[in-house]
Amino acid sequence: MAEIVAIHAASHTPVMLNFPDAIAASEREEIFAGFRAMGAAIAAARPQALIVLSDDHVHNFFLNNLPALCIGAAPQYPTPVEHWLKAEKRILPGDAALGAYLLSRLMESDFDPALSMELTLDHGVLAPLELAGVARDIPLVPILINCVQPPLPTMRRCHAFGVALGRALRTYPALERVAILATGGISHDLATPRMGMVNEAFDREFLRLLEAGDAAGVVKYSTEHVHEAGNGAEEIRMWLAAMGAADGAHFHRHYYRAVPNWYTGIGIGEWKA
Amino acid sequence: MSNWLQNMPTAEAYGLNKVLFELHHKPDDLAAYLGDKEAYLDRFALTGRARAAIRDNDVAALYLAGANPYLLRAHCIGMKIPEPVSVGALKALAGKN
Repeated sequence: MAEIVAIHAASHTPVMLNFPDAIAASEREEIFAGFRAMGAAIAAARPQALIVLSDDHVHNFFLNNLPALCIGAAPQYPTPVEHWLKAEKRILPGDAALGAYLLSRLMESDFDPALSMELTLDHGVLAPLELAGVARDIPLVPILINCVQPPLPTMRRCHAFGVALGRALRTYPALERVAILATGGISHDLATPRMGMVNEAFDREFLRLLEAGDAAGVVKYSTEHVHEAGNGAEEIRMWLAAMGAADGAHFHRHYYRAVPNWYTGIGIGEWKA
Repeated sequence: MSNWLQNMPTAEAYGLNKVLFELHHKPDDLAAYLGDKEAYLDRFALTGRARAAIRDNDVAALYLAGANPYLLRAHCIGMKIPEPVSVGALKALAGKN
């Protein structure tokens, strides 16, 4: 049976790769150091597969067919899908068998994830892996939650999905060590009149509730206040799923900084038993 | 206060978003568009204002017509619209709605 040996969460933005110099060098290095530390912790946990909870930013899915939840079950994932992203084109390894297992087990748990056997991953998966320095090494299972086009799955549902995901992972017979990276948020807003807004108060309260381990409180706060934190803040769904998968493990905030010139509140943390 | 201008895209927004999506995902579309915008846009069912907003890189009008924020953001970067122009056009709408 697999053990979940590491559960991390971090923000992502294409700006990290496309316009890193939009912020001061000292600030940038501090953030990049936070991502490298996360990558070192993931590598030190020696996972045989990495679940990446993220979202598809309308690249693989369009308004003709938009899954609320999708689990990848492919042996490899080309990236990046964005022709404008400043990132080397490469193919990341996938763990198709684990993806297939999770699809079956989550269906049995009364969730209805879409399956995909072909995804070209975007910055939402690539940017945090790249900055963490673990973009090539560990076979991935991408799990994509719709945070980009309403109607969106509820915060409550995403937390419950994470609980079921954690249970399913722990029953997986073919591997001994798996890790989870949840990525997105925290507050930010894109392509609306509020673009550039970072709601530091929202971010700090969200992180405080995670540290308090109050799942019902995090779900309630997220549901009631996400509209104060911008359309990009809808991505806290991935953090809620990770919290569910962590099964009561304690959340440690490793880093937070409001970074308006990257349009994002950058948070990094992990759940540890 | 809502994060979303449209909780469900209108038919007009669907057509507009389809252009923004295909331009940046189909291999030959961006070159075709840049070569002859009018001919490219003829392929789609668009309202007059959606068509004009796309053709004129009118970021504010694209937003108001229901462009998905991620498609609009990617379009701004993909079309190399300078950040002060795209972000400025959006911010100028604040308080008008």
